Amino acid sequence: MIEFQNVLFSYGAREVLRDVSFSIDFHEKVAILGGSGDGKTTILKLIMGLLRPDSGKILIDGEDISSKTEDELREIRMKFSIVFQEGALFDSLNVKENVAFGLREYRNLSEEEVDRKVRTLLKRVDLQDAMELMPEELSGGMHRRVAIMRSLAAIEPKMFLYDEPTTGLDPVNADIICKLILDLSKEGKGFIIVTHKIFDAFKLSHRYMFLKNGTIIFDGQKEKLIYSSVPEIQVFLSELNPRSKGPSAIDLGEKNV
Amino acid sequence: MKIKEWISDFQDFYLLSGRGLLGLVRKPFYSKDTIEQMDYAGTGSFIIILLVSLFIGMALSLQLSAELSGMGLKMYIGRVVGVSIIREIGPVMTALVFAGRVGSGMASELGSMILGHQVDTLRVFGVDPVKKLVTPRILSSLIMLPALTLVGDAVSILGGYYIAVFVSLQSGPFYWSSIQGVLNFENVLSGSIKPFIFGYLIACISCYMGLSTKGGAMGLRRATTKAVVASFIMIIVADFILTRILLYVLGFSV
Repeated sequence: MIEFQNVLFSYGAREVLRDVSFSIDFHEKVAILGGSGDGKTTILKLIMGLLRPDSGKILIDGEDISSKTEDELREIRMKFSIVFQEGALFDSLNVKENVAFGLREYRNLSEEEVDRKVRTLLKRVDLQDAMELMPEELSGGMHRRVAIMRSLAAIEPKMFLYDEPTTGLDPVNADIICKLILDLSKEGKGFIIVTHKIFDAFKLSHRYMFLKNGTIIFDGQKEKLIYSSVPEIQVFLSELNPRSKGPSAIDLGEKNV
Repeated sequence: MKIKEWISDFQDFYLLSGRGLLGLVRKPFYSKDTIEQMDYAGTGSFIIILLVSLFIGMALSLQLSAELSGMGLKMYIGRVVGVSIIREIGPVMTALVFAGRVGSGMASELGSMILGHQVDTLRVFGVDPVKKLVTPRILSSLIMLPALTLVGDAVSILGGYYIAVFVSLQSGPFYWSSIQGVLNFENVLSGSIKPFIFGYLIACISCYMGLSTKGGAMGLRRATTKAVVASFIMIIVADFILTRILLYVLGFSV
């Protein structure tokens, strides 16, 4: 379980998260929504211990990770598989080496085993023929698929963390990524998806958190979210059906689940 | 607040420089990354250093020829060119070119890795970014800058020879014997220590600036500019301090 207790975080003088508290079970499917710069990605980085809170506690399975060293955090990080915005593939490595990166760092496998494992993973996302391509030769959708496979090549995560996985993708590729995310969560593994695309969030998640100016202004189910009177949430909901806001949005979201 | 930030930045810089250097003797060693960096820093800079050194050597020789001929001291061209190049101009000029080409490349590469979350990805995989990214760059600079300085010195002296012999019509063998005369322990030591210090400074400054990139393309531009400017200033300041120390240690009277 992930628990945030009164977490405060700032980048220099700019407060990004203000007194944020919530708890998420590893099996939950959560979407964190909000505008740019409202602290969505910061929450993922805090969960992974990539950033440290200014105050408050972050508990992972009851352990406070706020003051852990990089070595101690290694074990915590193994519980998650994170995919950063736009994939964050290593520019200097080809697709095969990107996917094999974790395998080489975590496991002592022979070259044949690494090759076999990478092929299996890439076949799952239909990219077995792209092994030798460099990241700059991949489309946005291919980038994300490689990044997702890389993130779970070496570890068996308890939960997936996705930072804007469908941003910048055309609807076809966004749909492929959404299906992949759902497919990976079939074994009871939950995920947190950070996005500002409410359409994708409705396809994937069961619980929704809405951030505004570093504060959680909504935390609940879809039905409650779409009837919310908060103006910012209404603006987000209007993405589903630009002509009408509110209840009609439910149908659009549910049809695609 | 500003002062507090500066102190914090300096502290981070010294920590990074220290940890980067310690990485040279602590496992794991990223030899593939080091070789890649050496290729980029050394092989990639070779032609530029050759060109710059050749023309600096020729220009220096021309200037000296013009000045010394008025005093009837043209025969000293070789000696003055040798001392200037070996002790001062060679190491400084090579370091400045190195900072402009390699330092800016380091800062922009690491900066874009920061912005693209690649450094975060390394940490997620349990890889220490300082060991993986900074140490290979420090090591490659420590090896390649002295090597390039050596090549640059030789080419500058050769450029000086061309002007001295074919333009100022001095004796070639006398030019070379003057050069041999200045290739003594003091001068060679003085010119050999500097590139190591400059290389370390350039790598640390550039890596630090790159890894502290914030704020998109503008931030990347700022980080790269700061890396080059700070490296240039530190090379010149360090050169003065080292010259002062070396002259004192080697017993030169000023």
